[in-house]
Amino acid sequence: MKFSESWLRTFVNPTQDGEAIAHALTMAGLEVEELQTAAPPFSGVVAGRIVSFAKHPSADRLSVCQVDVGDAQALNIVCGAPNVAAGMLVPCARVGARLPPLPGTDAQPLEIRRASMRGVASEGMLCSARELGLSDDHSGLLALPAHATPGADVRALLDLDDRIFTVKLTPNRADALSVLGIAREVAALTGAPLVEPAMPAVPATVGDALRVTVHASDLCGRFSGRLVRGVNARAATPQWMKDRLERAGQRPISALVDISNYVMLELGRPSHIFDADKIAGGELHVRWGRAGESVALLNGQTVAVDASVGVIADARGPEALAGIMGGDATAVSLETTSIFIEAAFWWPAAIQGRARRYNFATEAGHRFERGVDFSTTVAHVERITALVLEICGGAPGPIGDQILSLPERPPVRMRVARCRKVIGVALAKDEMLSALGRLGLPLRDLGEVIEVTPPPFRFDLSIEEDLIEEVARMHGFDNIPALPPKARSAMFNAPESRRSLFTLRDILAGRDYQEVVNYSFVDAAWEADLAGNLTPIRLKNPIASQMGVMRSSLFGSLVANVAYNLNRKQSRVRVFEVGRVFRADAAVPDGPLTVAGVDQPMMIGAVAFGAARQEQWGSRARPVDFFDVKGDLEALLPGDLAVRFVAATHPALHPGRSAQIFAADRPVGWIGELHPRWVAAHDLPGAPVLFEIDTAVLVVTAVPSYAEVAHTPPVLRDIALVVDAATPAGAVLATLTAAADSRVTSISLFDHYRPAKAGGDLAESEKSLAFRVVMQDTQRTLTDAEAEAMTQKLVDAAVQAHRARLRA
Amino acid sequence: MPDLDSIVAQARTQFAAISEPAQLEEAKARFLGKTGSVTSLLKTLGGLPAEERRVQGEAINHAKQAIEAALALRRDELARARMEQRLAAEALDVTLPGRNSQRGALHPILRTQRRVESIFRSIGFDVAEGPEIESDWYNFTALNSPENHPARSMQDTFYVDASDSAGKPLLLRTHTSPMQVRYAKIHAAAHREHPEMAPIKVIAPGRTYRVDSDATHSPMFHQVEGLWIDEDISFADLKGVFLNFMRAFFEDEHIVARFRPSYFPFTEPSAEIDIAFSSGPMKGRWLEVSGSGQVHPDVVRNFGLDPERYIGFAFGTGLERLTMLRYGIGDLRLFFEGDLRFLRQFA
Repeated sequence: MKFSESWLRTFVNPTQDGEAIAHALTMAGLEVEELQTAAPPFSGVVAGRIVSFAKHPSADRLSVCQVDVGDAQALNIVCGAPNVAAGMLVPCARVGARLPPLPGTDAQPLEIRRASMRGVASEGMLCSARELGLSDDHSGLLALPAHATPGADVRALLDLDDRIFTVKLTPNRADALSVLGIAREVAALTGAPLVEPAMPAVPATVGDALRVTVHASDLCGRFSGRLVRGVNARAATPQWMKDRLERAGQRPISALVDISNYVMLELGRPSHIFDADKIAGGELHVRWGRAGESVALLNGQTVAVDASVGVIADARGPEALAGIMGGDATAVSLETTSIFIEAAFWWPAAIQGRARRYNFATEAGHRFERGVDFSTTVAHVERITALVLEICGGAPGPIGDQILSLPERPPVRMRVARCRKVIGVALAKDEMLSALGRLGLPLRDLGEVIEVTPPPFRFDLSIEEDLIEEVARMHGFDNIPALPPKARSAMFNAPESRRSLFTLRDILAGRDYQEVVNYSFVDAAWEADLAGNLTPIRLKNPIASQMGVMRSSLFGSLVANVAYNLNRKQSRVRVFEVGRVFRADAAVPDGPLTVAGVDQPMMIGAVAFGAARQEQWGSRARPVDFFDVKGDLEALLPGDLAVRFVAATHPALHPGRSAQIFAADRPVGWIGELHPRWVAAHDLPGAPVLFEIDTAVLVVTAVPSYAEVAHTPPVLRDIALVVDAATPAGAVLATLTAAADSRVTSISLFDHYRPAKAGGDLAESEKSLAFRVVMQDTQRTLTDAEAEAMTQKLVDAAVQAHRARLRA
Repeated sequence: MPDLDSIVAQARTQFAAISEPAQLEEAKARFLGKTGSVTSLLKTLGGLPAEERRVQGEAINHAKQAIEAALALRRDELARARMEQRLAAEALDVTLPGRNSQRGALHPILRTQRRVESIFRSIGFDVAEGPEIESDWYNFTALNSPENHPARSMQDTFYVDASDSAGKPLLLRTHTSPMQVRYAKIHAAAHREHPEMAPIKVIAPGRTYRVDSDATHSPMFHQVEGLWIDEDISFADLKGVFLNFMRAFFEDEHIVARFRPSYFPFTEPSAEIDIAFSSGPMKGRWLEVSGSGQVHPDVVRNFGLDPERYIGFAFGTGLERLTMLRYGIGDLRLFFEGDLRFLRQFA
């Protein structure tokens, strides 16, 4: 909502200045986003009358003007404008004047000095509208109104210190989408009286009326209108109206259109003026649209309608989108002589979302979907008629007014005590009464309760809290104290058995990974290539095609992070991300923290590329490998979590260097080296290693439980086994672990040897695995015989399960 | 009888001249060994009368002890010298850099999130996270934004090609407010059997999405939602909590906040919150940081609670905004580019 202070002051004229009014509005919830004067600052510019002019003796395009600025002596001014004419009144910047810098430049204000132009002295400058910052018009000198006196200050003459308010309104305040509505608020805030415009009835001078039938009372609750014959559509819009429209951001178009726009801004009343002679069949029908119908609109668009969109139709069919935009066929033109003025009440629910469906917004739709006063349609038709007669002439017919169904306005009660409790301040009841009264709300004092009957211009008052909010606004949020709450204090502690995601972040950051945040929507190609997901969850309205689908894996983003940083001369990239991934999954039900059909686990993923360790004088440089990153991943695992790494293939990963991660037999993640295909596709000088794992299994951890420390000496035994090269070490370890009893406190793999070719006691297809077994009994020292028996049991199990043999 | 004193003096001189431990043992033998000069003297005692034997013997033993002491002293000196030599040889250039010292760091937004969490935990708030693909009901309807309501156009919503159980298209949550409803429902249900419900005090940080992309808007961003519901939590309490939050977060006791009436479907009264610093480059400017208000009774009802009995406030703040103000970051896009040169500054 944009309007000028001078217009506002015709409705309410408080003693406060524009700044103070703007501040009061902002602090009352009508945020004044911008407050500017009608023209940028300039000084020393007066009205000047060009008394006479002559061609410059040595420049074809320059004129030498004698300009009367009210002094005894006319000024001699050289000017290059093409429209110089004797007798013309123009802005004259006198010597010493300061003009605004040209828009879009950072230049300093221009100071006018006495100058010599091609040998002729010039004592000032005559100005175009652009030179004064009024508009972009630089076609010639700005013509000032004929009544201006030479020497009069141009800022005062054109009221250029008038402030332009730009107010950002919240959707609940439809009532403030007009100068009158803002004025009502200013009156409530400042106490200055509100002067509502008089809208006397304009008597009919002709009997003509247009027949209007409303077929849908759930669309149109009230329809008022009248014919006016014999109007002159070519009449000029008066300057005062043009000024107010322009300062409200509306371009003047033609008298009839301007009048309709003016009343919308003035009173918040969107109306429509039809060319009555173009209404086919001479009658209108207000109804819901029908499938297959379409409307050719004023903006040149033709849109299809259906039974959910309201229309105004004539004999040809739909002519206008009800409450949103008029039609092209019945629009007024400069040839129009008969008009039909319409002002209706459209139900907000019948308008809401309709314009958006067609991808446009209109001032009328914006107002109707929020709610427009239903009590004033007739008065506003009178107002429009009066302006039409004043500007375009004509003979009005009688007003037709049909009321079908109007919003009810049941009284709303506010308990004084509840108001105090919600706001947290012991406000006096009188202050509450005063606050509501100043807003023009009809109210009754019922003792401990105040009853308000919402006026027809307010669509946001239906429950007690609505009134509490009005009281709080009028009291001033600034006047409510900021209290640290006095509350029962209860300790809140996160359970010891849960680790925060920040614990995981700290672990990876401590291992030299930098956290990144990537978009949750990615290129569909990443999903196909790096997650093997050809049916990702798609966005219906992505902002760009490469952000079109929800990622089901962090891998695509992580690989992109590597490529991005390599392109910026970073040779070593180690990053991680914690974020949700999204997969369609019919097994997910609606739950307290789940949405049916979509699995959205919180994953942690990382990628490492480049040297395993930062370049250092005392370490040999080598590229990061699978086991470096596996170690980083293992550092994230809670100590009590049994995890298996199972060789498996993944579309993003090298098939021989990738593993699926299982926790308690549930697949929870992947780790591996990027597949050479993608290494090449991304033009990477080496292969990054990546992992991602569901944080759900990482954040749960056991609370430690004490076990007696053994004081007996541990017994160590090493077992070297020869197995087929394809047998995973993890499988052998699992067999040994399963075969061990409680006296075995640990089994660890300490050597892995696979000969390049057959030699010694190993065949080419074999490898050797050496395990260290630690045995200990808490009660007594184990005998050699017991240790041997246990070792033998483990060996036997390996022989049985993996056809292993003891290495000689 | 040779002069014992001169033997001792001789031993001392010889020992002092020796620098190898092996030679020292040889020298020892010369005096104290089987054929050593002191040992030989002892052998001569047998032929002396008892009294003289006692006197001589004492004198010889005395000399022997003096030689042994000299020997021990010299051994120690040599050992110490050896140690010193070794230590000198083993000396390192301690100014060389250590190994594996490099650490990564949290993303600045998460750094902020962690600080916000710890501030609110200090007054007993829980922290909750929830789904980002959300249903229409949780994101809008439960928060008092019915379909087609103009308030919905305040937020441009991303929709996905899947539907919820009610057949409505699923969407990317436009704010963290759905977590108010999810958390409060869980809490209310857990306390259904209790006559007294523990207060609901929770913050819900996380990713949110809106169809908006320019220098000051990112299609994905982070919010933190705060919710405190009890029998008597008022708008004045909201002002107190939020002001203290800002002062704690910016570690600046002089921050001022102003609450401007605004409109959100899920709060009433509603307020936008602006803060202003008393020093620094942003001094005196009102900076919008949050939307807030008293939770709307319809929303409290959707929590499964009676709005007559339970009232309280909610607020939502952008974590990017807080991070930018805290660290003086001017460009929102830096957060999502993954540029290590930017991110490493927050180590």
